[in-house]
Amino acid sequence: MVLKDVGETAKSWTTRVEAKKKRLESVKGLVDGVIIPTDRIVEVLERLIKTGDRVVLEGNNQKQASFLSQSLVQVDPQKVHDLHMIMSSISRPEHLDVFEYGIAKKVDFSYAGPQSLRISHMIEDGKIELGDLHTYIELYGRLFVDLIPNVALVAADKADSNGNLYTGPNTEETPTIVEAAAFRDGIVIAQVNEIVDELPRVDIPSSWIDFIVVADQPYELEPLFTRDPRHITDIQILQAMMIIRGIYEKHGVKSLNHGIGFNTAAVELLLPTYGESLGLKGKICTNWVLNPHPTLIPAIESGWVESVYAFGGELGMEKYVEARRDIFFTGKDGSLRSNRTLAQLAGQYAVDLFIGSTLQMDGLGNSSTVTKGRVAGYGGAPNMGHNPGGRRHSTDAWFDLKTSDDPLARGKKLVVQVAETFQEANKPVFVESLDAISVKDQAKLAVAPVMIYGEDVTHIVTEEGIAYLYKSDSIAQRREMIASIAGITPIGMEHNPKTTERLREQGMIALPEDLGIRRSEAKRSLLAAKNIDELVQWSGGLYSPPAKFRSW
Amino acid sequence: MKSAFLFPGQGSQYEGMLNDLPDDPVVKELLEESSEILNTEIQSLHSKNALLKTKAVQQCLLIASVASYRVFVKNGILPNYVAGHSVGAFGAAVASGVITFEEGLRLVTLRGELMENTCGEGYGMAVVLGLDEYTLSKIVNKLFLPGEPVYVSNRNAPTQVTLSGSLAGLQKVIDYVQCHGATSAHLLNVSTPSHSPLFQRVSEELFNELDRLDLKKPKIPISSNITSRLLMQADAIKEDLAKSICYPVRWHDAVNVLYESGTKLFIEMPPGEVLSKLAQQAFPDVRTMSIAKNSIEDCFYILSNS
Repeated sequence: MVLKDVGETAKSWTTRVEAKKKRLESVKGLVDGVIIPTDRIVEVLERLIKTGDRVVLEGNNQKQASFLSQSLVQVDPQKVHDLHMIMSSISRPEHLDVFEYGIAKKVDFSYAGPQSLRISHMIEDGKIELGDLHTYIELYGRLFVDLIPNVALVAADKADSNGNLYTGPNTEETPTIVEAAAFRDGIVIAQVNEIVDELPRVDIPSSWIDFIVVADQPYELEPLFTRDPRHITDIQILQAMMIIRGIYEKHGVKSLNHGIGFNTAAVELLLPTYGESLGLKGKICTNWVLNPHPTLIPAIESGWVESVYAFGGELGMEKYVEARRDIFFTGKDGSLRSNRTLAQLAGQYAVDLFIGSTLQMDGLGNSSTVTKGRVAGYGGAPNMGHNPGGRRHSTDAWFDLKTSDDPLARGKKLVVQVAETFQEANKPVFVESLDAISVKDQAKLAVAPVMIYGEDVTHIVTEEGIAYLYKSDSIAQRREMIASIAGITPIGMEHNPKTTERLREQGMIALPEDLGIRRSEAKRSLLAAKNIDELVQWSGGLYSPPAKFRSW
Repeated sequence: MKSAFLFPGQGSQYEGMLNDLPDDPVVKELLEESSEILNTEIQSLHSKNALLKTKAVQQCLLIASVASYRVFVKNGILPNYVAGHSVGAFGAAVASGVITFEEGLRLVTLRGELMENTCGEGYGMAVVLGLDEYTLSKIVNKLFLPGEPVYVSNRNAPTQVTLSGSLAGLQKVIDYVQCHGATSAHLLNVSTPSHSPLFQRVSEELFNELDRLDLKKPKIPISSNITSRLLMQADAIKEDLAKSICYPVRWHDAVNVLYESGTKLFIEMPPGEVLSKLAQQAFPDVRTMSIAKNSIEDCFYILSNS
């Protein structure tokens, strides 16, 4: 059938691109090609951004588009208001100032640790309309579904005069954000530290970019993943020994993610010493998804590590990474290429194990890092800290967690939670009820902000021992197992010494002695590097720590 | 770099404190002005005996902090934010231009008198270290008896929390927490149950007095004692000044909000250094100074070069 009567006022299928053209024309007199003069940025933003727009502002826990956020907060709220901000991390004061000043109204985000008290107040006071709290992957995913941005504000190291971008080691989430806006007729503005004739490499091509602006100061970058070995305690070393023997060796864990905990930093620093003495080199911890942790240097130098794929860079590690191209993902220019979205996906689907620290855990193994009165969000831990039901490939460690002979039985991702039974100031980590529940009510969230669900946790490690939760499918037994290693916390006080003996015999829990570990051996002398200076020495002088980590 | 000035409350006073203020004509002027308003010799305010009275303590704290603040103003240096602990909030309100110094001095005089005369003997405050406010609140609710009232009051740090109430009630909580997780718990040298519902009437009288004044819009945002919000309206500040005496001071949160708002430098007005130490412990990456310990010249230098 042929349609005969097509109305004269035919529907336009190009309204988005036409609207974009109009916006671009509105700044013609203010810009020089793709370049926005630094001192005109506020005026340009007032024309390019329209009231009610969805604006994605780059800022994760490391790299911040700080010049653009400081400029956005200066726009006239009479001209631009009711913005819907999308930010993976709310970390700078002006990220919330835009709401105080009436420029923005609604927010969807992943993480707000550095602004967790203010955002909690502003939600309570009705100054912010909260969309939702997400994990990184969810938020990035929604950029292509129901949170498609009108405007993307991002940061890069350098640009050329055509608008090609070099993001250097800190590519992080820039390509994802830019893609969501650029291919849907949104406007992409990148702040850069400088414009150069020739870029070391192109991380984002100019056809994805509408404007660049030279920032008055380089973008903010935080060295979040540097852990000074001086602060690692004997208890953390004991936990690290248990992790290596009772989990990595036991299951043959080859691919993994580590976060920023001191206990996992201890694991990294024990590989060349304790791990070596157990003859584990090449058998565990070969392929990593993590940022270039300085504490991984001794293991790399000792030949433990085959590959590292990174979410982002780490300040001071640039030269070391360039000099170890066989290990890291690097561009033709030699510098690190990171990508937060892909690293999160790799950490979700492709690794054997996720391990993270927690501040609170209930009797069933649900854990959370939230504190009452604070809305901190998630970041990426839950993306990696769960058993992805869609996984179909098998690895030795994954397959080793199969607990049934059913012909359709599957293996399981290893999700390990490490905690000392008490936090500072006598706060028990193991509690009857998570603070997350009170935060849910206070911030009127649909679900309580649980970081890792008990059903996903396969192992819990405390200074008392390891609970092999994956071996149990009974809630009562899980509770017993957790109580057995929960020390003298309220949950731990429930345990019965006879039950503990039975669980040990059944291999459901293991104490250090069951793993052949003597507590007296857990000493700092086992660390391959005991301070930052020794890490620099291991790196042959290639690692250049930020000033705040230098003790000399 | 954003800065905040902190105005200390009761506990920081010491004998002869007004002799240790910065040597500057504006300080002398303010001392003379105070003497005229109060119709008394300055030296009689900060003697050992005088400081046994709440009224004189509050007067001295306001005079010391505002006098020093005036030296900053004279040099054209203003902070981005101000905050005051308990009676210190009146100094912050003067600094922000909400009330005049004279109004402030009359208000703290009234506040001190009301506090002295409301509860009589047998009341006071205590401090508990090592337990958080939620744990302590549960304990206090469990042990509470109407005849021996005791309340959780100021949240100075996550695990430094005060109690206010009857001496009998305070002692009962102290005895209990000493065996249940506190690292330290003892009575403070204070004879009033400040920041508890027992001072409801003091709060009402202060409200009446504040209602008579023409409060100005603050020139500098003030971090609130009660709600730990940044206050930018005169009405909100009036409420905070009046109500604070019968509500807990959420000091840790009040400073945390300043920190999250970008404050990287905290300077404490005389006479003490309690607040700057608390800020340093809570936020190791900020810079803290106090006029009592660093000189005012050092504070000028850091403020002008940051």
